[in-house]
Amino acid sequence: MPGLDYLLLGLVSGLAAIERKGFLQAMLSRPIALAPAVGLLLGDLEAGLRLGPPLELLWLGAVNLGAALPVNEALGAAAVTGGAVLAGRALGGGVTPAVAVLALLVAAPAAILGRRADRWAETRNERLAERAEELLACGEPRAAVRENLIGLLRPFAIGMVLGPAFAALAAGLVPLLLRSVPSASGPLAIGWAACWGLAAAAGARALRARLGPVLFLAALAAGTLGSVLAGSAGR
Amino acid sequence: MKVRPATLVRVFWRCLFLQAAWNRRGMQNLGFAYAIDPALRALYPDAARREEALRRHLLFFNCHPYTAAAILGGAIHHEERVASGLEPPDVPRDYKSTLQGPLAAVGDGFFWTALRPFFGALGALGTLLAGWPAVVATLILYNAIHLVLRIHLFVAGYRKGDAIVGSVAKLSLPAVAEWLRAAGAVLAGLAAALMPGRAGLPAAPLAVAASLGGAAFGYLVLARGLRPVPAAYAAAAAGVAAALAAAGLGGGH
Repeated sequence: MPGLDYLLLGLVSGLAAIERKGFLQAMLSRPIALAPAVGLLLGDLEAGLRLGPPLELLWLGAVNLGAALPVNEALGAAAVTGGAVLAGRALGGGVTPAVAVLALLVAAPAAILGRRADRWAETRNERLAERAEELLACGEPRAAVRENLIGLLRPFAIGMVLGPAFAALAAGLVPLLLRSVPSASGPLAIGWAACWGLAAAAGARALRARLGPVLFLAALAAGTLGSVLAGSAGR
Repeated sequence: MKVRPATLVRVFWRCLFLQAAWNRRGMQNLGFAYAIDPALRALYPDAARREEALRRHLLFFNCHPYTAAAILGGAIHHEERVASGLEPPDVPRDYKSTLQGPLAAVGDGFFWTALRPFFGALGALGTLLAGWPAVVATLILYNAIHLVLRIHLFVAGYRKGDAIVGSVAKLSLPAVAEWLRAAGAVLAGLAAALMPGRAGLPAAPLAVAASLGGAAFGYLVLARGLRPVPAAYAAAAAGVAAALAAAGLGGGH
């Protein structure tokens, strides 16, 4: 039932938006956890497990340092995974690499729009702080501090609306594109492989380790060589 | 005058909501006041003194959400002394403003730019190799470390007050962070190398080449300042173009 799918996606996306900054921050809203959770809820855990690693690496540097706002990686992960699963279901073949890359391209801007929405919410929260001061001046300290929890509502609403909206966009556009040009699946699969490599590079880059490029490229070369040797031995 | 352990547990629970109403004027001020309120209620039965105490915790505050637990514990330590008449009321405020910057730097440098990205990269590689159990293991491991440190910092701040700086220094977090960043870069490289054949893609030579190209050239363009999402568009376009070119060359023979 598509309506129920979007409702579930909205709830998870909204709760992730809260966990991401307002409460706990236990990595539950990071793509590595959120993508499998969305996949599981929409009936395709395997797709979530395929999308979680590249999305996590792509947005490994999305961290909230001081007053700087990163892109909203939780919203991006929920929208891309939700859109990919629903598009794969519409096509009947599940989340293929072609579906995955198109869902990423269509729904990833949710993360960028999410950052704008977060900035708006933080500006609006100033009113909560002012109201807390007013309540304290009126001799209502309990009500004053409870204003803090009202701040959770805006991120929840942002996640609840934008997550399903971008997923719906991907779920609509991706099947349309792949049905119009069926031969695109092969080249798109190679595009997904390139995106995967790029995501790993984004992750390594975000870590900013001393000798980071050397370590990343050395591990890349060693891992590739190991895979090739293991493949040859297997044959 | 001492706060009961049950009240301290309540304060710690509330400190998990420190950023619920993060705002550009006072930043975590409302979250800090919300967290410390049960302790102030216990320490100041007189409504006027309690409101005065709460007012000093509604002033600007911003720190890393995990390391802020140490400041919260330390603020209660000082409020106990203020309530007992051992310190003037401006000491908790000065304590917070002195420590928030240094502890924010420690928290950002260790948790946000080292520990969490390391576990993100570990989770990504683990999921490729072992599937969902790796996701669960990553979350359990990360949170075991994160929650133990968060609780430890809160308790140490409460017990030691100003001496918390020494306790944090003993953890040697910057040195550990450097190792975690280096290990994370290695994990990301391994994830890119092992992806073909494990991420729903065939281990075909072109897919392997696209992944390697995306990783190597991706690092270069990202180092030049390109953002990850536009870079992903460029990588996808380059991969598709390479596949079409390869198909064209194959068709030509």
